Amino acid sequence: MEKKDIIQSFKDSLFTGLIALALFGPIVGLRTASKGEGLFITPQWGIVFLLVGLCILGRFLINLNSARKTEITFFSKFTSKFSAITEDKAKHFAITAILFAAVFPFLPFTDRYFMDVAIMILTYIMLGWGLNIVVGLAGLLDLGYVAFYAVGAYSYALIATTFGWSFWICLPLAGVFAAFFGILLGFPVLRLRGDYLAIVTLGFGEIIRIILINWYEVTNGPDGITGIPRPSFFGLPFKRSPDEGETSFHLFFNLEYSTMHRIIFLYYLILVLALITNYFTLKIRKLPVGRAWEALREDEIACKSLGVNPTNTKLTAFAIGAMFGGFAGSFFATRQAFISPESFTFIESAIIVAIVVLGGMGSQTGVVLASIFLIGITEMFRDLEQYRMIAFGGAMVLIMVFKPKGILANRKPTILMHGGKK
Amino acid sequence: MSNLLSVENLTMKFGGLTAIDDLSFDVKNNQITSIIGPNGAGKTTVFNCLTGFYKPTNGQMFLHKEENKISLRKYTDFKIAYVAKVARTFQNIRLFPAMSVLENLLVAQHNELMVASGYSLFGLLNLKTYRDKEQLAVDKAKYWLDIIGLTHRADDNAGDLPYGDQRKLEIVRAMCIEPRLLCLDEPAAGLNPKESAELNKLLKFIKTEKQTGILLIEHDMSVVMGISDHVVVLNYGKKIFEGTADQTKKSKEVIEAYLGVDE
Repeated sequence: MEKKDIIQSFKDSLFTGLIALALFGPIVGLRTASKGEGLFITPQWGIVFLLVGLCILGRFLINLNSARKTEITFFSKFTSKFSAITEDKAKHFAITAILFAAVFPFLPFTDRYFMDVAIMILTYIMLGWGLNIVVGLAGLLDLGYVAFYAVGAYSYALIATTFGWSFWICLPLAGVFAAFFGILLGFPVLRLRGDYLAIVTLGFGEIIRIILINWYEVTNGPDGITGIPRPSFFGLPFKRSPDEGETSFHLFFNLEYSTMHRIIFLYYLILVLALITNYFTLKIRKLPVGRAWEALREDEIACKSLGVNPTNTKLTAFAIGAMFGGFAGSFFATRQAFISPESFTFIESAIIVAIVVLGGMGSQTGVVLASIFLIGITEMFRDLEQYRMIAFGGAMVLIMVFKPKGILANRKPTILMHGGKK
Repeated sequence: MSNLLSVENLTMKFGGLTAIDDLSFDVKNNQITSIIGPNGAGKTTVFNCLTGFYKPTNGQMFLHKEENKISLRKYTDFKIAYVAKVARTFQNIRLFPAMSVLENLLVAQHNELMVASGYSLFGLLNLKTYRDKEQLAVDKAKYWLDIIGLTHRADDNAGDLPYGDQRKLEIVRAMCIEPRLLCLDEPAAGLNPKESAELNKLLKFIKTEKQTGILLIEHDMSVVMGISDHVVVLNYGKKIFEGTADQTKKSKEVIEAYLGVDE
């Protein structure tokens, strides 16, 4: 390394420090505090200089590193190793992951908190897989996916509280309603692509939320719906003291009553729902309609010239994607036993899209890794309150810098002429 | 020889600009008909009208099927390929680059496969009837790949093929829908002489073996003169000459259109 390079990178680092000063100076340095009457500014220059110093040092180290032409840092090494594993032994990886997920509730370190986080991650994995059909396969950027999640949750909640039907009847109905809304959204946006489509779907997501807030007679407005029935274990409720003439789960199996039973059951429920979503997606990808989705993503005009009906193809993608969103929504409703429009804000859509994009568009395993990464990290930093969003943003930046196409972005053909050998 | 396509008084206006002006010509069965003309003569516009991408301002286009006459104006969009069986390729290649060569050819057989898969139901249940139909579709794809010599690359992404192979792949992909009329928009653009010769061979094969009428837009005169049975010359949206390749070469109007008029 030459002296010139060092001076150059030193200058560069100082410039970085200048930018850091401009940013951190007002944001961190000038803290407002209320003393008596009015606000006062307390300067905190110590922290500012520490942060600026860290930025300068970090930049200098990065420069030194890139000057040595060893750009492969720990992170990309890690992810490339990871994608190598999952690409070569995709099947082994999937089986191991499923086995791990299956025994997870009975591992010694698993407690209530871990289970809750795992259920949440699985919900997002399912939503990610559902959205993957629309975004990853059909290439329709949908920023309002939470609308179908909401439709599913509200259909389940309203049907279950009004008619008292069981979870297993309400679940498919909620899916059907969500699919119907998917088609409803699909029709007006058939001619739109890319950014324009994204804006309209974003609007659709907001419309659904605002309807939920304002249609007080049906949705109970911002108060939400309470007392949504919990799912039962094939007719056996999870209650400490069952009603007259009922047998509850712990009595039937002669177990000590524990709230964990229900949590474990919910965990397996979402695991099975997510695996169904995955299985369905993997299957349908290899069918003509799945190939047509991908062809549509690649080139719509060419599709038309080959006689592929773009309208039907897009609508099926929207409907099926929405249906799985609806299933996830019903699960959410039955797990929480309470839903309100608060749960279905734009940030949810954004997180789901982020999971799909960061996982690698169209990659099923990528969705799993991205969900664990994004949701897990935000959960790990929950104690740090507002800093957890920084962790979330930081995770996104890291993936975008080192893996711009997503964690796993390799597409495999849906059908091979020469079999496995080549 | 019977007519396959009759274009009658076709006119296409974009605002004040008349791109095609009262154009009439016929395409015969089992023949290669070329449309040539200087840049901006309206050749691609004719194609876009024929294949449903534009709706012509005026005029009729009929496809003859035995005794019946199908008006192409009735069909728009994907129905031209689906119902009327008119296939086309594009001036700038439009393959599905991130999908494999084989998948490209299977998407072209989408409608038959969709029915075979019971609109996905049989396919999801993995019934034998669907698996057999899928195998037939793969066999058909293999048949065409053998002809253009790309079978060994069937599992590679279409976007990774060399340019000349992409051109040929786009043509056989269009052939996979079993068209009655195949419209090729500058298939020889960007090909080297060897590839052009291979293209000529492929087009002659399609004409004689598949009994498909071919309508061709081309600037490469070695292709046009080598394989055309009939040539239509356009200039400023008007037909200025129609005849065999040899007649076209000698035509005064055509030479003037390309090289200008003597003072």
